[in-house]
Amino acid sequence: MRIIVRTDGDLIVEATPDVGYVHRGCEKIAESRNIIKNIPMLERPNIADSSHLNWSYIQPIEELQGVEVPERGRYIRTILCEINRIASHLYGMAIMAGIFSGHTTMYMFGFGDRELLLDLAEMLTGARMTFSFFVPGGVRRDLPKDFKEKLLETVDYLERRLVAIDRIFVNNPVFVERGRGVGILRKEDAIKLGVVGPVLRASGVRCDVRKDAPYGAYDKVDFEIPTFKEGDSLSRWLVRFEEIKQSISILRQAIRDIPKGPIARKSPIVIPRGEAISRIESSRGEINHYIVGNGSDKPYRVKMNTGSFKNLLALPFLLRGVRIGDLPIVYGGLDYWPVEADR
Amino acid sequence: MERVVGSAPLKHLVNWSRIYSLWPVHLMTACCGAELGAMMSGRYDPERFGMQAAVGSMRQSDLLIIEGTVTKKMLKRVKVVWEQMPNPKYAIAMGDCACSGGLFHDSYSIVNELEKAIPIDVFVPGCPPRPEALLNAVIKLREKIRREEVYPK
Amino acid sequence: MTATLSTQEQRIATAVKEQLGSAVEDVRVDRKGRMSLVARNETITEVAACLQRLGFDHTIAVSGVDYLTEKRIEVVYFLSSYSRDDLKHLVLSLKAQLDREKPSLPTLTPIWESANLFEREAHEMFGVNFEGHPNLQKLLLQDNWDGPPPMRKDLTFPELA
Repeated sequence: MRIIVRTDGDLIVEATPDVGYVHRGCEKIAESRNIIKNIPMLERPNIADSSHLNWSYIQPIEELQGVEVPERGRYIRTILCEINRIASHLYGMAIMAGIFSGHTTMYMFGFGDRELLLDLAEMLTGARMTFSFFVPGGVRRDLPKDFKEKLLETVDYLERRLVAIDRIFVNNPVFVERGRGVGILRKEDAIKLGVVGPVLRASGVRCDVRKDAPYGAYDKVDFEIPTFKEGDSLSRWLVRFEEIKQSISILRQAIRDIPKGPIARKSPIVIPRGEAISRIESSRGEINHYIVGNGSDKPYRVKMNTGSFKNLLALPFLLRGVRIGDLPIVYGGLDYWPVEADR
Repeated sequence: MERVVGSAPLKHLVNWSRIYSLWPVHLMTACCGAELGAMMSGRYDPERFGMQAAVGSMRQSDLLIIEGTVTKKMLKRVKVVWEQMPNPKYAIAMGDCACSGGLFHDSYSIVNELEKAIPIDVFVPGCPPRPEALLNAVIKLREKIRREEVYPK
Repeated sequence: MTATLSTQEQRIATAVKEQLGSAVEDVRVDRKGRMSLVARNETITEVAACLQRLGFDHTIAVSGVDYLTEKRIEVVYFLSSYSRDDLKHLVLSLKAQLDREKPSLPTLTPIWESANLFEREAHEMFGVNFEGHPNLQKLLLQDNWDGPPPMRKDLTFPELA
């Protein structure tokens, strides 16, 4: 994506984002393919967070078909989504504190620790990033034999690494001063612009779809929603850092309490007449899929709205009055994923 | 001068230096960029080949890794980046979408045949290709550079 | 999913019917957390202002649907609330039926600023004209796109075998 900036000396007067460089027409292609064949294509827009997109596409189809996922399937979905959330947050933190502020250390930390989570996901699903693991009715495979030990080992290691990141970045004035007070978004503006995800929670609005409208196994685990009041770029980074800790807690509870039973129920390969909308909290915000069915095996209309597209409106708003040197920090704090916004 | 430099052993020296300092341009087009980012990190370590992750600008790089789908809107910018790179330059097409359109081949807004716009040296299939596959492609490119002439006719 | 409907949805449905009367049709509550209503095009700004007073402070998506055989384009605004705790779980779909030949609707950006980019996308994908929108230019398509709006059902693809 491109940002066209007009400046007055060092201060930005007006910024216009120019998007659409990765617009591949996912919604149009989805109308001409079978619902199962759409799954790999519709999870590509955000490859680092693909299980949330998969779930958000499947949820309205299950609602229209009237299929209820069994308990064990819901727990497995939650486990995979939380693994994905930690991996995606490490990616976002690595880009902002690593590339955009000039410290390659966080880039190497983030990507190196992410590899362990991708190994876990590969053990469960067979793929590093593009899982295609959820189908209408449940999940494809059960947990492998030694998955629980590997998961607990990875999670213990991650907790020790978070202490190191805390010491090197969160308590380090070189990094903190770059983000503190830069690109402030107040609570009223955040609600008016309709931003989502960590950007919203960094501005003081305590909203998370996992708590407001629970799905999967989220109503059976205990977790908190980290919220900060300042609304600057540093708080947006810190929200992601705290959310990783909450995800680790969810993973421990889920793998301890997962019940035995079937992992999927049979579902027909047609979408009955009707329309439904899904709400899933992905790592960049709330995503929605609106599906209209007409009784055939191809959806009549698939509309995707992703977190990055909703946050795009905040970018020109935040950049007004900011210095040119702070542009990467404001952009990195939003954690904008262009492919997800353009679909 | 050309006769001196173009003959062995100076030719081997020139090619050796080109192989061990392939600096890539960061042109993240689409989803394969996540695997490119993973390849540039500690586990797969391209720095042992001299591929530096943080490059200043495209005028100082000699490798263009086109990863992901190239849309019609993006094609003009990819060509501009390619023309700004100084010779000798190489291009790797990473992912199914850059090779032939991939999953989105019937879309109204993408370019299916990229090799008509930019000469490509190595194609890497996969959706997305594993970082090991991309490293394998870099090794094949190095073998190709090792064999080529310093001043091509 | 329970058989009895929640009180929040019923309360909103009653308030909407009382305050708007004939400006809305077909107010229905599908299940806990999902409601929909159809507004008449002339009075859609009034309906939107009333919904904002009831507590819906942002749009989560705007979608167009092209019903080719019924010769209409439907524009759906999905609304939710951040500031009211009792409405956080609810998604209300505000629908408007437009004529397929010349689809046109007053913009709702003065009421919900979050609908700005969503309406722009619906304009370039379906050809819907939002009267009064501050900036109705191309967002996602390439600069020299000269074909029909791509999401309409007239533009078809060769299907996979």
